[in-house]
Amino acid sequence: MFNQRVHNRQSVKLFSGLDYGFVAIYLALVAIGLVAVISATWRGDDVAIFSLSNEYMKHIIYIGMSLTIAFVILLCDSGLWHKYAYVFYVASLLLALSTMLPGIGLERNGARAWIGVGGFTLQPIEFAMVGLALGVARLMSDYSFSVEKPKSLMKVALIILPIFVVVKLQNDFGTGLIACSLLLMLFREGLNMWLCILIVCVVVLFFLSMLMPPTPLLVALVILFSVISAILMRQRWKVAIKYLGVLFFVTTLLYGVYALFAEEGDNTYYKFLLCTTIASLPAIIWWTYRANIRELYLITGLFVVSMSVLFTSNVLYDNLHGYQKLRIDTWLGLSQDRDASYNVNQSKIAIGSGGLTGKGYLQGTQIRYKMVPERHTDFIFCTICEEFGLLGAGVLFLLYALFILKLMRMGDNQQESFGRVYCYSAASILTYHVVINIGFTMGFMPVMGITLPLISYGGSSLLATTIMVFIAVSLDASTRRALPVYRKW
Amino acid sequence: MRYNSSNDIRRFFSHVLVIGIFVCYFIGLIYMQFSSADYDSKAEDNYISYLRETPPRGEIFDRNGNYLVQNQVCYDLIITPYKVQQPFDTVQFAKITGVELFRLKRALKRLPAKSRDKTIIARRLSAEANLRLQESGIEGFTTKASTMRSYPRPVAAHLLGYIAEIDEKGLRYRASENFYEERDYIGKSGLEAEYEHQLRGEKGLIRYNRKEKIDEVMSPSVPGKDLICTIDGRLQEFAEELLKGKVGSVVAIEPSTGEILVMASSPTYDPNESSGPQWGNYYMQLLNHEVRRPLLNRTTKSSQPPGSTFKLVNALIGLQEGVLKPHYRYECNHGYHYGKIKMGCHPHASPLNLDYAIATSCNAYFCNVFRSILENKRYKSSKEGYEAWREYVESFGFGVELGVDFPNEISGYVPPRKFYDKRYHARWNALTILSLAIGQGELLCSTLQLANLAATIANRGYFYTPHTVRMIGKDSIGEEFRSRHYTKVEKQHFESVVKGMWRAVNVDGTCRAANLAGFDVCGKTGTSQNPKGDDHSTFVSFAPRNNPKIAIAAYIEHGRSGAEAAVPIASLIEELYLTDTIRRPALVDYVKNLKLNYWNAYDSKKKRVKKDV
Repeated sequence: MFNQRVHNRQSVKLFSGLDYGFVAIYLALVAIGLVAVISATWRGDDVAIFSLSNEYMKHIIYIGMSLTIAFVILLCDSGLWHKYAYVFYVASLLLALSTMLPGIGLERNGARAWIGVGGFTLQPIEFAMVGLALGVARLMSDYSFSVEKPKSLMKVALIILPIFVVVKLQNDFGTGLIACSLLLMLFREGLNMWLCILIVCVVVLFFLSMLMPPTPLLVALVILFSVISAILMRQRWKVAIKYLGVLFFVTTLLYGVYALFAEEGDNTYYKFLLCTTIASLPAIIWWTYRANIRELYLITGLFVVSMSVLFTSNVLYDNLHGYQKLRIDTWLGLSQDRDASYNVNQSKIAIGSGGLTGKGYLQGTQIRYKMVPERHTDFIFCTICEEFGLLGAGVLFLLYALFILKLMRMGDNQQESFGRVYCYSAASILTYHVVINIGFTMGFMPVMGITLPLISYGGSSLLATTIMVFIAVSLDASTRRALPVYRKW
Repeated sequence: MRYNSSNDIRRFFSHVLVIGIFVCYFIGLIYMQFSSADYDSKAEDNYISYLRETPPRGEIFDRNGNYLVQNQVCYDLIITPYKVQQPFDTVQFAKITGVELFRLKRALKRLPAKSRDKTIIARRLSAEANLRLQESGIEGFTTKASTMRSYPRPVAAHLLGYIAEIDEKGLRYRASENFYEERDYIGKSGLEAEYEHQLRGEKGLIRYNRKEKIDEVMSPSVPGKDLICTIDGRLQEFAEELLKGKVGSVVAIEPSTGEILVMASSPTYDPNESSGPQWGNYYMQLLNHEVRRPLLNRTTKSSQPPGSTFKLVNALIGLQEGVLKPHYRYECNHGYHYGKIKMGCHPHASPLNLDYAIATSCNAYFCNVFRSILENKRYKSSKEGYEAWREYVESFGFGVELGVDFPNEISGYVPPRKFYDKRYHARWNALTILSLAIGQGELLCSTLQLANLAATIANRGYFYTPHTVRMIGKDSIGEEFRSRHYTKVEKQHFESVVKGMWRAVNVDGTCRAANLAGFDVCGKTGTSQNPKGDDHSTFVSFAPRNNPKIAIAAYIEHGRSGAEAAVPIASLIEELYLTDTIRRPALVDYVKNLKLNYWNAYDSKKKRVKKDV
């Protein structure tokens, strides 16, 4: 198949097989972005329209750079990405690590995630995401790789881990979570369904544990798992209740003894319960083996994991930085800090006051009067919502959905697992960006410093997204060229 | 290359997940647009302020078009604490602006040093102080133009009243009017309070775009209406000058309209103080002056026995009832004697008829008149006669509120029958309450009511409700001030009383000092006996006899006899009003140098001695 592609390269025209629809959506999104950035950084008539001091002029330059790079990528042989995937991965990691170097690295909003070159700044973690997508795709396209093998999964974890290290060093939590978005790709690749559910449960539980005091949450969990086990085991639900009863009895006994000798600490009873549950695991395994109930493994496992999450979520939360904690607290409604919620509040006002068709271009008061400080970068979605209203947002959603679905469809149509994994990785990363960004702009999520890809002002995000997307386009184009009959959708 | 069913499900699920998230977000967006918190108004609040523009308060003019109350530009001193450079020279700043040092220090101490809020720390800065402040270039202080009340002719303080910042209670009480905000001025007394609604105007609404700094007038403010008073400023000033150093009041009324020309109460205060920086302290001084009570408007708020001036009323009632004819003569034997009862009188010719009795103010004559009114055969008892008498008296405006156009008028007191029934256990007759014959006893009235009596007699039987405002802006005053109130005494009975009053001034009466050549002045003195200190001096008068131009009542507390204090004061005011000049400067000097004894009245340690006559 590889030979076939080489052969075709010589015989076909330059852009044959290119998905023009996808490129058109890309250009439409970039155009919307430019329009929004102009509105958000418009400084009225006192500055000449084409003056380079305008931020949107810089954005136009970035767009020009992006289009050039896109063109260059299309010129390149698509086999290049597979071949040098690890090189790109390591290079992007090193670039991301260079923010740690004194003199080059810049610190903004508490995150040391930028490098300054001349007058331009770069956020290398965006490029590291492209590198990650390439690296993961390369790893998972190995013949020895199977998503069902724990060893293979360990390799995936190993390739994601450096990103977390860099993110931890840079203190840029929101971007780091992008790596988690690869779960969608892994799911598509056939990751164990229960593992996916487990991870989703852990995330849900993580936020729940911050919202609720541990004891009621624990009781809720016990009841939930009892019900699930009762349903799964059908007639054997009495056994489960007996088990839980014994568990609580032993725990209370131990706790009582402990309480006699030591003073009460935080969540002590709960820690005891965890210990007894873990201690009871061998008994469970033995009983399960004897009774041959496979589901019970799972339920016990979920129970243990959720309780561990309850226990560790506070530890994790404590490890966050002050502003990150504040953002999460603000989102959860736990903090009344006006400064922390200011951006989100003003953004919500901008979105809510837009109405059906918006206030008109350059007429949005929240944007004109600079009520939203980050209106051209992270909060650009509220600019669109205020000036173009629900219709504008609807069009944007439609374009994004089409864009991501087309990206996924590109992956589905790939003949090789490298291309499939890469396209799905890119789609996952893009989805994560869009969902998180629009989510926190609308106040549905805690604020994370994540841009709206292709729309937000800023060179790094635009360039990185363009590179990521056009690698997929180039892979797709070569696939189309190779296939005599192309599967339409 | 796996195309099994699980693969398809997973692919489908991935697509559904992406679409589902966008659909959820879109629903969220719709929810935010149409059914959530009021984001539209919140967005507007971010850059629009609605400011209420306070219009200038209406000014007050006297009847000749001269200012009584004028608006003057002044400045509010506003501090922006974070701009103030440290160290800050408070002493120099106090010197420049004229703000008291301790106030300045207190304000600076109270405000947080880094605050960006603008706070008014002093009001009513003069234009000069403002200029000095601008020149000095001290940072952190700005001024805002405002207006204050100034009084070019510092008269009629009681009548005009004063304005002050509205307090919390007032704000709460007047919340429904939707007009007042904090730091707004409101009329606190006098005309300022009575005509508050007309004077304050209507507030305008301005939509202010904070970001573009553009004003948009939603509704313009309507300036307050000017009041044109009936007061004659010059006359008022003269009256207050004459009253200086005395305790008492003068009210002059134009009988043909009921307009009050003079309404002077003494002691008084400078109304300019009320817009000065020291008003608070000054007000407390005025309030706590226990002896003379300078805040008391004695023209309407002081109830005094009318004394001999009330004999006119009794004469008129007698004439109307038919129990007195002008030619009736009664003897006066150094007073009126009936059994053990004795009502003294000063020496004069006896017996005497009505006009001489009025002229010389004979007590005995009016005791007889009073008795014949009450013991009229038409009534079953003298108690019923008393009730009839009381109705007459009330028709003259005694014992009832006249309904003047400014607040806090008292009604005086004409005792009802029940009062005596209770006091004398229903065993009383005309002789028991004989003091009423000469305007003493339980009878109380205000100077305004006396002036109204003079106007009623001048009009021969009717009066207009006395009022102090002629025009409100371009509107004339209400119908209630333009309709005649007839007394129960018919017109033909007045002439003989007027004759007596004329005789009192012009021939051989008690008040010949009030004589003005060319004007047939009519008058009646009164000396209200007073158990505490010297008698009160009263005088009611009108002039000329036909076509009266002015009716006046003067009441000088502890002024001894009527002729001693009240007559010259009232006469001089009449002279100035009728002739525009003062031809008797000696009399002015006499009034100004008049020594009245107040120690007698106000010395609480002195034993209260009831004096005869």
